[in-house]
Amino acid sequence: MKILTCPMNGPRNIDEFQSFGPVRAEPDPDRTADADWSRHLFRAENRRGIVIEWWRHVPSNYFFLAERDLVSNEIIRTFDASERRAQP
Amino acid sequence: MAASPVFPFMPGGAADGTRLPSGAVMLTDLTGSLRFGLKGGGSAGWLVSRGVPLPAVNRIGSWRGTRVLRLGNEDILLLAEGPDSALAELANTWHGATAPKGYSSWREEGWAWMRLSGPQAPQAMERLCALDLRADKFSAEDIAQTRVGNIEAVMVRSQAGFDVLFDVTASAYFARTVTAAARHCTDLLIDTEGHI
Repeated sequence: MKILTCPMNGPRNIDEFQSFGPVRAEPDPDRTADADWSRHLFRAENRRGIVIEWWRHVPSNYFFLAERDLVSNEIIRTFDASERRAQP
Repeated sequence: MAASPVFPFMPGGAADGTRLPSGAVMLTDLTGSLRFGLKGGGSAGWLVSRGVPLPAVNRIGSWRGTRVLRLGNEDILLLAEGPDSALAELANTWHGATAPKGYSSWREEGWAWMRLSGPQAPQAMERLCALDLRADKFSAEDIAQTRVGNIEAVMVRSQAGFDVLFDVTASAYFARTVTAAARHCTDLLIDTEGHI
């Protein structure tokens, strides 16, 4: 059983969670070239390394962030979304 | 106590004919009991303004015969503990109040409320829920928002055992799942026919 630690509910079976994909940049469509906007809409990044992703704990409907190694699939840490907003 | 039917009693519905287990593991349907939920911005502030003390997230408080379950910063569930509870009065006040006051999360219609009790209830719960529910790990003031019997649920301890709240449309499924778990974990008789 793979365990994911929810910042609000603690360690839980991974079955209790739903992934919402990586946190992405939010370009302004009025100030972005068509090619870049197209890339933003239709292309997904597929690289090796560390990614920050949105996850949801389903029973409590709580959304949070997880830092994950895309090669080893290790969850490095999980944290509340307010911590990301607090970063400069 | 005789086995009881599932609430609500909808002829021809999925729960029609379903009986709750009784005996060493007993399931009691409290879905008809008074409860009230608020969710969204302003919920916590409104309750505090009415004098309801709010506990930390995933903890349980108490107010005038009512259990106060803090499911999230702005997600609060109130369970009446008996006829002396002030919850009905509070809910009436909320309906007449002006915003900001959060919005009703329809806990009284959308959720079933069942109580698992009996001498073998902890053993049955071991088969229904993956969490460590020993008394020193899961106290009477703790809330577990998790899966019970493979469905999303809010679970707390009650004096008799465990209270589980979940989607009301899964009532019949939950009753059958608890019955199966009870039969697997005990040699004692589990009755769904009302014989004991």
